[in-house]
Amino acid sequence: MSIDTTPPPHLCKAGVNKPTDTRLLEQFLNKGKMMGTFKTLEIKESVFENNNIQADLLRDELKEEKVFLLNLMSSPGSGKTTTLVRTIETLKDEMNIGIMEADIDSDVDAHTIAQTGTRVIQLHTGGMCHLDADMTRQGLNGLNTDNLDLAILENVGNLVCPAEFDTGAAKNAMILSVPEGDDKPLKYPLMFSIVDVLLINKIDAIDFFDFDLDAVKQRARKLNPNITIIPISAKTGEGIAEWTDWLRKQAKAWNQT
Amino acid sequence: MHELGVVIGVVKKVIQVAESNQLQSVDTIVLQIGQLSSMIPTYIQTCYPAAVDGTMLEKTKLEIEILPANALCKACHQVFNIIENRSQCPHCDSDEWGLLSGKEFIIKEIIAQ
Ligand SMILES: Nc1nc2c(ncn2[C@@H]2O[C@H](COP(=O)(O)OP(=O)(O)O)[C@@H](O)[C@H]2O)c(=O)[nH]1
Ligand SMILES: [Mg+2]
Ligand SMILES: [Zn+2]
Ligand SMILES: [Zn+2]
Ligand SMILES: [Zn+2]
Repeated sequence: MSIDTTPPPHLCKAGVNKPTDTRLLEQFLNKGKMMGTFKTLEIKESVFENNNIQADLLRDELKEEKVFLLNLMSSPGSGKTTTLVRTIETLKDEMNIGIMEADIDSDVDAHTIAQTGTRVIQLHTGGMCHLDADMTRQGLNGLNTDNLDLAILENVGNLVCPAEFDTGAAKNAMILSVPEGDDKPLKYPLMFSIVDVLLINKIDAIDFFDFDLDAVKQRARKLNPNITIIPISAKTGEGIAEWTDWLRKQAKAWNQT
Repeated sequence: MHELGVVIGVVKKVIQVAESNQLQSVDTIVLQIGQLSSMIPTYIQTCYPAAVDGTMLEKTKLEIEILPANALCKACHQVFNIIENRSQCPHCDSDEWGLLSGKEFIIKEIIAQ
C-alpha cells in the first residue's frame, strides 16, 4: 500500500493562534508616497511551534492507544532499511510491528520490508525532505495502528531538517554509519542533540575507514549528555541484541503506563 | 524541497487569517527568520511565487526580517552574535553560552488595505 502525503498543512488548525491585535498603521510606500491607510494584522506565529503542538497531540493519542512510535533518521545509505529488517527479525515474535517508509518517490524500501511479512506503508513526500507531525499522522492512519505495539518511521534520508520537525514520535533514533566519517556531530549538531539513541552502523567496516569511534562518542555526548550510543552492524548482526533490548525496554515502558 | 513545503504552510495560514478578517487582498506578508534557521531567505523568496500561484495572495509581497543568532556568555554574561564570533565569546573567549535567538521562523504579520 502506498499513499501520497499532501503538502504539509503545518498551520491550518483553526483557532490556535488568532491574530492578537488589529491596529491601523499609516504605511508609506513607493518612496514615501502616501498610499492611504493600511492595516497590519499581527500573527506572531512560529511555524515550528505549530508543528510542535500537532506533534504533542499525536504523541498523547499514541500513548493512549499504547503504540510506541520510533522516528528513525539518517543520511541516505547509512543502513536504516537494513537495520529495520534485523530489528523486525528479532522482535516480530514478541510484538506487533508496523513500518512507515518515507521516500521522495520510490517504493523500494517498502518492498524490502514487505518481504519480512510486516505491516508496511510507503509514504511519498513529493519532494519534501522531511516529515512533520501532520504527515506522520496521515501515514499512521494509512498504516492502521490497530493492535500495533511498535510503529517505526523511516524518515527521509537527510541529517538536517528532519531534526527540526517533531513527528510526534515517543523516541528519536539516528544512524551514523562508519563510512560517513567521525566529523558528522560537528557538522550536524542539531540532529545529534535531539535524538535519544545513536546507532553507529557498519561497524564491521571500521578497519577500512579512518573513523574514530571514541571521538564520535565524545562529540555526541558533548551535544547530548543523555544520548545512548550503540555500535552495530546490520550486516553481521553485531550489536543488534543491545539495540533491540533498548527498543524493547522503551516500548514496554511507554505501553505500560 | 524544504522551503516550498513550509512556505505552502505559511500561505495557507495567511489565507485563513485573511478570510476570517474578511480581507479582499493582502499587500505584504512579513516573516521573521533567525540566522540559525534552516530556512534560507533567498530560497524562500525563490519558491514563494510557486506557493502563492493561483491563490488570493498571487500579488502579495513577501518581506523577510532576519533575527540575529545571539547568545549569552555563561562566563562573562555579555551578549554576542555566535555566527560573527565563530561560537566563541569575543569578550572572554569562552565557548560556554546559551542561545537567546536565531532559530526562529515566524509569521510576524500581514499588511492589508
Ligand atoms: N558493510 C555493511 N554494509 C551495510 C550495513 N548496513 C547496511 N549496509 C549496506 O548499506 C547500503 C544501504 O543500506 P540501506 O539499509 O538501504 O540504507 P538506508 O538508505 O539508510 O535505508 C546497502 O547496500 C546495505 O547492504 C552494515 O552494517 N555493514
Ligand atoms: Mg532506506
Ligand atoms: Zn525538510
Ligand atoms: Zn531541507
Ligand atoms: Zn564571555
